[in-house]
Amino acid sequence: MIQVKGLSKRFTDKKGLFDLNFEVKKGEVFGYIGPNGAGKSTTIRHLMGFVKPDSGYSSIDGMDCWKNAARIQEKTGYLPGEIVFLEGMTGLGFLSLVQKMRKQECIKRRDELIERFQLDVNSPIRKMSKGMKQKVGIIAAFMHSPQVLILDEPTSGLDPLMQRVFIDLILEEKQNNKTILMSSHSFQEIERTCDSAGIIKDGKLVALEDMHLLRRVQRRVFEVKVKSEGDMEQIIQSPLVTEVKGARTIHVTVQGNDQEFVQLLSRCDVQHIDTRPQDLEDIFMHYYDRREVEK
Amino acid sequence: MSLPLYLAMMKNHGKMLGGFIYGASAYIVLIIWIYPSIADMKGFNEMIAALPEGMRKLIGMENGINSLSDYIAGEFYGMLLLIILMVYVILTSTRVMARLVDQGSMAYLLATPNSRVKVAITQAAVLLTGLALIVGFTTLSGIAASEWLIDGYQLDVPSFITLNLLTFLVFSSIAGYCFFISSVNNDEKKALGISAGITLLFYMLNMAGKLSEKTEWMLNFTIFKWYDPIKMINNETEALWIGCALGILTFLLFMLSVAAFKKRNLPL
Repeated sequence: MIQVKGLSKRFTDKKGLFDLNFEVKKGEVFGYIGPNGAGKSTTIRHLMGFVKPDSGYSSIDGMDCWKNAARIQEKTGYLPGEIVFLEGMTGLGFLSLVQKMRKQECIKRRDELIERFQLDVNSPIRKMSKGMKQKVGIIAAFMHSPQVLILDEPTSGLDPLMQRVFIDLILEEKQNNKTILMSSHSFQEIERTCDSAGIIKDGKLVALEDMHLLRRVQRRVFEVKVKSEGDMEQIIQSPLVTEVKGARTIHVTVQGNDQEFVQLLSRCDVQHIDTRPQDLEDIFMHYYDRREVEK
Repeated sequence: MSLPLYLAMMKNHGKMLGGFIYGASAYIVLIIWIYPSIADMKGFNEMIAALPEGMRKLIGMENGINSLSDYIAGEFYGMLLLIILMVYVILTSTRVMARLVDQGSMAYLLATPNSRVKVAITQAAVLLTGLALIVGFTTLSGIAASEWLIDGYQLDVPSFITLNLLTFLVFSSIAGYCFFISSVNNDEKKALGISAGITLLFYMLNMAGKLSEKTEWMLNFTIFKWYDPIKMINNETEALWIGCALGILTFLLFMLSVAAFKKRNLPL
């Protein structure tokens, strides 16, 4: 459904996109992960036909994204990474403008989504918080039930509850055989919804994998606080990778050996346990280390 | 053109446009209203005649005030309306394109099945509609005021309408190049700066060109060469030809803008 082939766009020597290749099949949810400035939004701009590639092409449903931008929009929903609406409108005013510009009459889906995200549509957009604007953007992207959804960091600004609502919405659309591409810099978000993921760094696709493979190599660090020094010793002595962080506090790295970790903890008096969020850089680094070892 | 977008933009635009219309209309009514007292004032023309020639040209009173038409054309069309329309055209042309690109809301318009060409044409229509409304209301107010507000002085209505048509066309051409600048720039402030800079340069060349014969050549480099309200209202210009030329120029400039907008990369 979405195809990106040899896509290149050079801004400077290091910045831009360099020979990007990937494909999202119909009914698939594709997570597009990468640190800030890696080229996620630039790729999406190409898919939306805002930018002309230097070489290569991207297409949606067989139509070239640069040449057929307007026709592609008939079946595509788009959520920009940075949400700015026209000035001087209410949420509802904006949504109905987009509907009219789409020549769409049915408002059932729109109202359903407004209800779902509990959006106060009558407040003026300039008075809305970031999260509220994000909701308006999400509704604008979903309300015409498009076949393809392109979402640039969809959950930014949403509170945890609304993130849940959003993830449910994605899973529902997946059931309806929609094709979805969503970018994110959060691995967790992608993990919950996507079938496959592409990891982009410095404008190059560094990994393109099934989600369960990525999950297997994902490395997690637990912060464990135990009650006695003896327990500390026991953890340090274990074959797991550890790092002492303070009095009776230790970081344990788990990668595929969860069972071992749980058994170890069962022998100790644990006072507190917490996961440390991992930045993507870390995940990729270990992803590669792991691969090297396997070879 | 996308009608829903056009209506939304016009509504969005309404307040500012209303201000401009009110300003222009109220001023022309006022200026016509006080005309009898100036016309009856003895020695006014002598006073004007005492000024240096360049100065007289500059304030649009080469031959003093001989008729209501001269007076309206020189006092209002030559000065205040010119500034009102200049400000309106520069501000609005920047607002309808560069601002939307700069802020990013253009992304939403293009995320609907409306092509860039269609969106750009709609925005151009908004700009020209606003200009037409200001000039149109000014014309009507002018005619109404001269009919009902003052006695004994006649306004030559057909010539007055010709003057307004030409005024509209001159400023459409100015809107044309401002719109072009707005269509190719990502930065709202930059677009505004360039548009204002070029227009002010034209205006200054026009002023300098009128000062003396030595500087007359400067008039060849400014679009305001074609905007001479007193000659226009006295039918001393080739109105038809100038009108056609300006119309074609406007059309070409807008076509060029739309084409450039279609082809360029957008930072959305």
